[in-house]
Amino acid sequence: MRSLLIAGNVLRRILSDRRTVLLVLLTPLLFVLLYGTSFSSRHTHLTIAVVDKDNGLASVRTAEIGRVTLSVHLASRLLTAVVKEGFPIIKETRVEDAEEAVRSGGAWAAIVFPAGFSNAIVNEALRLGGERTMRFEGREVRLLPPETTLDIRVTLFVDDSNPLISSSGLAILQQAFSDIVSDQQRGLSVDAMLDLRPIYDGEITNLDYTAPGIIAFAITLISVMLTAVSIVRERTGGTLTRILVAPVRSAEIVTGYAAAFTVVAGIQAVELVAVSRFAFGIRLAGSVALVALILFLFVLGLQGLATLLSTIARNEFQAMQLVLILLIPSIMLGGVFWPPEALPPSLRALAQILPLTHANEALREVMLAGRGISAVTVELSALVAFAVATLAAGTWSMRRQLRRG
Amino acid sequence: MAEGVVKRYGSRLAVDHVSFEIPAGTVYGLLGPNGAGKSTLVRMLCGVLRPDGGRVTVLGWPVPSFRVQMQLGYMPQDVALYADLTVDQNLAMFGRLYDIPRGQIASRAEELLDLVDLRERRREKVGALSGGMQRRASLAVSLVHRPRVLFLDEPTAGVDLRLRNALWEHFRALDAEDVTLFITTHLMDEVERCRLLGYLHSGRLLAEGSVPELIASSGRNSLEGALTALLEEEGEPE
Ligand SMILES: Nc1ncnc2c1ncn2[C@@H]1O[C@H](COP(=O)(O)OP(=O)(O)OP(=O)(O)O)[C@@H](O)[C@H]1O
Ligand SMILES: [Mg+2]
Repeated sequence: MRSLLIAGNVLRRILSDRRTVLLVLLTPLLFVLLYGTSFSSRHTHLTIAVVDKDNGLASVRTAEIGRVTLSVHLASRLLTAVVKEGFPIIKETRVEDAEEAVRSGGAWAAIVFPAGFSNAIVNEALRLGGERTMRFEGREVRLLPPETTLDIRVTLFVDDSNPLISSSGLAILQQAFSDIVSDQQRGLSVDAMLDLRPIYDGEITNLDYTAPGIIAFAITLISVMLTAVSIVRERTGGTLTRILVAPVRSAEIVTGYAAAFTVVAGIQAVELVAVSRFAFGIRLAGSVALVALILFLFVLGLQGLATLLSTIARNEFQAMQLVLILLIPSIMLGGVFWPPEALPPSLRALAQILPLTHANEALREVMLAGRGISAVTVELSALVAFAVATLAAGTWSMRRQLRRG
Repeated sequence: MAEGVVKRYGSRLAVDHVSFEIPAGTVYGLLGPNGAGKSTLVRMLCGVLRPDGGRVTVLGWPVPSFRVQMQLGYMPQDVALYADLTVDQNLAMFGRLYDIPRGQIASRAEELLDLVDLRERRREKVGALSGGMQRRASLAVSLVHRPRVLFLDEPTAGVDLRLRNALWEHFRALDAEDVTLFITTHLMDEVERCRLLGYLHSGRLLAEGSVPELIASSGRNSLEGALTALLEEEGEPE
């Protein structure tokens, strides 16, 4: 009963200041907007220097009329595709200049097409793919494979100082290359040899994969900070003393605070999920109610944790520092960017005590794979256990600390 | 009420084996210079600070306990109100912690606002009041549940003279209603208005009794003289 009173009082104080209300509502929004736009971008807009010596001609043997010269301009076609992907291009004539552009940071990569590029691609495609017919000057001709192999390679200089960017940029370039090659080769392509069966049908983007973790992390950051600082402020301001002089138990204070800030964090969580869903279309395959349940248990545990931190901190400044100390392992080990299985065993144990690990795991099961409650019972139990343990420890610690002075 | 109460902060002994008993319905003044341990003692008496040694009972019950806390009022030395809530909201919040129905709090608020002369400012946020007004609001909040035992830590510090007299009148009225008051101060003239007084110095209770008793036992002719004599005995001439 008194905990409801305390909860109501906390909420009333938040609502009484318009600026606080705005901050509470805008912080998650800012978070989603930033991560949504930066994660859904594909690292294009990276400048590429090009040295194009390709003459655009391919000389092929035919069965009917001997050697003919085709004008195919494969290098230009490849460049067009690359530009279409959003990479700006600067033309260079000398290889050294192009390489220098990459070294000096003026370009992210440099591609050098040799003179016989079109010729080599067309003939290699014929050699690997076998004969092909085509229309040439009004008549059907059979193209024959070349007698010798042509080894003319394209040189690519890459700025690999940022592996994340270079790998995602390279993937796009490789795709452009293989499109051109398979275009030339029709019958024999990578697709025909490799039976690729993605479980999620290739629908899961980088954004989808990281979204549950990022959302859970954002809630941790915003909520633990808010709760811990509020409790410390109540203590340093002396009002906690006044509450204690009244017939109120530590448990009632802790549950009061937890209830109020669970409501606040719940609103922020709904905001985070809703904006991610509607503005960035993140995948939400499973039940929304189940997502809400996971977030609720997670947030409840965070309040317990915040209480515990607030009793350890002597002032608001220390409270902030403690929250940061908690957040660092969460973002590193909680499975936001890479799964906890990928961690060395010593850290894997640590990851298991982080609530973020379990919340993230459960959210992924539901949001990405669309699984039901039976698939996440382990994670839900972990979250419940975490909430009970931290709320109990928070109460114990608050009782101890307050009376100690 | 207190038996051999001890409190240490690290190596500093803030309250050193203090014992006393205050009859119910008495105004007790605790006098002592800055750092004597007055606030520390009061916080132990009302149950927000656990003594390192000794025992505190209020109305015959150990502190803290639900029964005592319901009957006990405490005005801390610092303001300790929600600066972002109004005077009315603060009164309501703390009143309801004592299970007082809303309607009763409202009528009680009327009385208290008259007492501390804050009727006009009741709908303003406490943080927007002057320092003295905040202390008056703090006193009103401490009285909201009509406590039987009241601990006031320097209630009149920073309050202007006119209101100070008004407050003392109210304390006397409370005394008449059999409320026990425990008031700390470092002002000589304030303790002279108390029925009993204790003199705390460096955590130790050097003297206790009524004003005439203390003067008589020292052989001097004023309270000030009596206390100076006590300090001289301690080997600490002022
Ligand atoms: N939380 C604390 N931590 C460490 N030392 C403290 C703490 N509170 C008080 N003290 C020390 O205990 C001693 C007594 O302090 P206390 O506040 O009880 O004095 P006081 O008599 O109320 O003084 P004043 O007249 O200035 O209010 C002082 O030396 C003070 O420095
Ligand atoms: Mg004091």
